[in-house]
Amino acid sequence: MRRFTAQADEASVRISDEASVRFSDRANVRVSDAASKPLPTPEDSGRKLTSLRSVRRPAGAPVAGELWIGVHLFTGTDALERLATRAQRFTPRVSLAPPDGLLLEVKGSLHLFNGVEGLCSCVASECAALGMQFALALSPTPLSALVAARCGQSAAGRPIGAPFIVLGLAPLVGQLAPLPLKALRWPQEMLDRLARMGVRTIGQALRLPRAGFARRFGTESLAMLDRLTGRDADPRERYRVRERFRRKRDLTYELESHEAILRALEPLLRELGTFLQARQCSLMQLECFLQHRQAPVTRCLLRLAAPAADATRLGELLAERLNQLVLPEPVRSCELRSGALVRSTLASNTLWQPGEHGGAVSVESSGLIERLRARLGPEAVYGLQVLPGHRPENTWRAIEPHPSQEPGVAPDVRRASSVARECDAVRAPDVARAPVATGTPRALRATRASDTRSLPWPPFSRPLWLLPAPRLLSQRNGLPRRRGALRLLGDPERIESGWWDGREIERDYYVAVDIHGVRLWVFRERAAPHRWFLHGLFG
Amino acid sequence: MPADSELARLLEHPAIWRGRSAARTEAVSTGFDTLDECLPGRGWPRSGLTEILVPRFGVGELSLLLPALATLTRRPTARWCVWVTPPLDPFAPALAAHGLLLEKILIARAGTSLWAFEQSLGSGACDVVMAWARRLRTREIRRLQLAAERGRTLGILFRSRSAARESSPAILRMAVEPLPQGARVTLLKSRGGRNGSIEIGHLPAGS
Repeated sequence: MRRFTAQADEASVRISDEASVRFSDRANVRVSDAASKPLPTPEDSGRKLTSLRSVRRPAGAPVAGELWIGVHLFTGTDALERLATRAQRFTPRVSLAPPDGLLLEVKGSLHLFNGVEGLCSCVASECAALGMQFALALSPTPLSALVAARCGQSAAGRPIGAPFIVLGLAPLVGQLAPLPLKALRWPQEMLDRLARMGVRTIGQALRLPRAGFARRFGTESLAMLDRLTGRDADPRERYRVRERFRRKRDLTYELESHEAILRALEPLLRELGTFLQARQCSLMQLECFLQHRQAPVTRCLLRLAAPAADATRLGELLAERLNQLVLPEPVRSCELRSGALVRSTLASNTLWQPGEHGGAVSVESSGLIERLRARLGPEAVYGLQVLPGHRPENTWRAIEPHPSQEPGVAPDVRRASSVARECDAVRAPDVARAPVATGTPRALRATRASDTRSLPWPPFSRPLWLLPAPRLLSQRNGLPRRRGALRLLGDPERIESGWWDGREIERDYYVAVDIHGVRLWVFRERAAPHRWFLHGLFG
Repeated sequence: MPADSELARLLEHPAIWRGRSAARTEAVSTGFDTLDECLPGRGWPRSGLTEILVPRFGVGELSLLLPALATLTRRPTARWCVWVTPPLDPFAPALAAHGLLLEKILIARAGTSLWAFEQSLGSGACDVVMAWARRLRTREIRRLQLAAERGRTLGILFRSRSAARESSPAILRMAVEPLPQGARVTLLKSRGGRNGSIEIGHLPAGS
């Protein structure tokens, strides 16, 4: 069995050697001007498939059947993606090499663009149209194309004469040899070490013993050289154009009622649904533009809490938003524009309904937030978060709710509270400790120990409701009143804090009961007028 | 005696459903033993509308719910706990101290709180939805009750004491009055449970 594999390996090496020889025979138009031979046989393309399938090929198996154009941009690198998009008319296999490189695999496109020269001039004119300073190189491996392009002269404004064109693997090494090593963009320190050894060009580096090179400069550098010369495969990620959905519908007559507008939007929404489904994408944002005869365009923006791809659901949300709109004039045309598309992550369905024994929620969770927000406005729906500190007003805030959050206390909250204990408690030295409560209901016993550890105050001394701002209470004989005299319970808790930010408080908090039996959280200012305020209800 | 055994045998017939067994519901413990015993399923029903009638806001009605809320928000499959237009700001540190998981709490401030209440109840994305209502018609409460059953949600509706005279389709109705050492809970209607009043102690809130 073992012998058989070895034989098979040998065979494959031999076959590919033959192929590369044959390939290099018809290799170069200009550099090694060999006679051109017929186009690759089916056997070639079959071998190309196997090379794609196996990412890591055995050493010595060259990558054949590919031809890459490397584009190096001296200026205009910010338009790299635009160039990549436009370059897709030459080949579907366009890869970005940020920050300033672009790679096109053009083997299959040569005959469509009048061969090498025609294609190069097409690519060059495309770059020139975008106003870039650039250099081109053609080579059978992507890395060598890129490196050679980096060494090239800017070709803007000149009639194209690409200086580096290698069509086969065999002459590649020879053509790469005079190029300076710095085009490989290795770290400067490594280049300096190589320069001290007298190694300044790629050819000199390739002549170094492999084992020693790997030991001194790392296997990654050696692998890079292998990819450069085609000893090793160099798979490149394909550039995909960022797509948006944008459809407009002109109406044959003007629409006034919201229902009619929604009906007019329906085909667009259906189209959006199939668009998203075909691309397995979802969107986070959808815009609807309604055009009028005179008045400026009405814009209706829908932001989603979680990516959505379901057209009917989007339609329902859009309906809620549109119902809120006041239209200045009848609508003549409507348009839908999607925000950036995000790849859909498909959640697996559960056997149980949400809320049933063992059933968890998935889409309903964010769907509810979206539905509420569509009608009530984005600020009307929020979650709660505890902040570190002693001043009751500053110990919580409204936050964006997270529908996808896993149950369990978020780590940053926990960290924040422990910070509170460390810093704020030091600055408020005289917090009176209210007597620790006894007789906790049984459901709480389990959770108390873990949750209240990080709180800087005794857990059950805080009211469940807080007034937005303390409300002044009337007083008689120095005691607070609210619909009658208040009865104070227990010892006060003193909160002094905030001297560092100008919103200092000095208060003595009491639990009080009013004549109806409602338990209140009141405080008395420590400063001169000693006024009483109502700050919370225990509920 | 023979008549009794005759009756017992008759009742064993599988086609006969009795109130108590029909009303067996999934429930979550209230955290108060005395109250649990009086409720069908020994706790708050997991789906359906519960009315809590109070003489005025803040007499201890929320404390009554806290142990159950803590349990519900800490389940591995916990859903939202929605507060629809609460009269004041819920004080997050106190809720956390009572064991509630704040990540599961959602506040919705709505002008049309009834719409938001029904949406949340029926969405299936909530374990508990609480709302504070002023005046409601029986028809509206029926809609809410149906929505709660559809979404398998515990809906809590806080209403004024005066609503006790009206009939209501809610599956559980109780009145809460403050007492010096706690609160008195009077069950006005409980499907499959027994009515009566119980006194429960305070949550030890600083006293």
